[in-house]
Amino acid sequence: MRICNRNRVAVFAVAASWLFSGAALAAVDVDGAKALAKQNNCFKCHSITTELDGPAYKKVAEKYRGKATAENRLIEHITSGEKAKFADGHEEEHKIVKTSPPKDKAQIKNLVQWILAQ
Amino acid sequence: MHRRPNVIHRCWTALKRPSAKHSLLALLALGFFSGIIFWGAFNTGMEATNTLEFCIGCHEMRDTVYQEYKETTHYSNRSGVRVICSDCHVPKDWTHKMWRKTKASMEIWGWLTGTINTKQKFEAKRMELATREWERMKARDSIECRNCHSYDAMSSELQKFTPYKKHMEGMAAGKSCIDCHKGVAHKLPKEYEEPM
Repeated sequence: MRICNRNRVAVFAVAASWLFSGAALAAVDVDGAKALAKQNNCFKCHSITTELDGPAYKKVAEKYRGKATAENRLIEHITSGEKAKFADGHEEEHKIVKTSPPKDKAQIKNLVQWILAQ
Repeated sequence: MHRRPNVIHRCWTALKRPSAKHSLLALLALGFFSGIIFWGAFNTGMEATNTLEFCIGCHEMRDTVYQEYKETTHYSNRSGVRVICSDCHVPKDWTHKMWRKTKASMEIWGWLTGTINTKQKFEAKRMELATREWERMKARDSIECRNCHSYDAMSSELQKFTPYKKHMEGMAAGKSCIDCHKGVAHKLPKEYEEPM
């Protein structure tokens, strides 16, 4: 009977995470996020599923899943020009994502939420 | 009844007739100075159509691509260097410039018929217009970019590692600027997909 309860908990957790990620994605303006990523050449180094010079967005989302600070951390990462570590070990400043109009926090937040929803 | 020759025929006959009044020197001097005045006026007019003010004289450019360009590094940057529309969109050499200007005269027809006179119409045609310009740049091996930028002048010490690596790969593959750098001064069309 205990095993049965454990299973229920597991099923509930999986369902909750699916619902949560679905709700999060629903709130995101996907087209807006992709347009901003394209405009900033993000896809030159990142893909949604494949490792390029930068990590795949799915891997980034996985790394930050369930972390309360994820959104702020990623916003900081793409707007401050902080160093990013590459697979070969070298470090260089991450490109600062630009918006139109400039420094539009809502667009940046939307992009980060889209990445985290992958 | 004797018919009088028409106007064209009379003009042509007058032009062919040797001058009985003016010396050859006077005619040559007149032709020489007329030529200078004509070419001066022609080039001044041509240069006037290359100014930023001319390009944004119509709201079709002023309200759309000009506003986007003002937010880019080609308009404002730490070095204080600015390029204007004609630096990227009009060839420098005379032959290609004349050809480009001739083709651009078709834009007057677009203006008259209002093909992009609203933001909605402009967005609907953005992909077509951008694609045409990208193809023109590609056909010219991005010469307008290369008037200022060159692979040879890129420093591995001053440029970040990843862009430098990509530039050197691009050079080895025979790529020109526009192959990778689309939408550097304007928004990308929403239909544009990054080649993978």
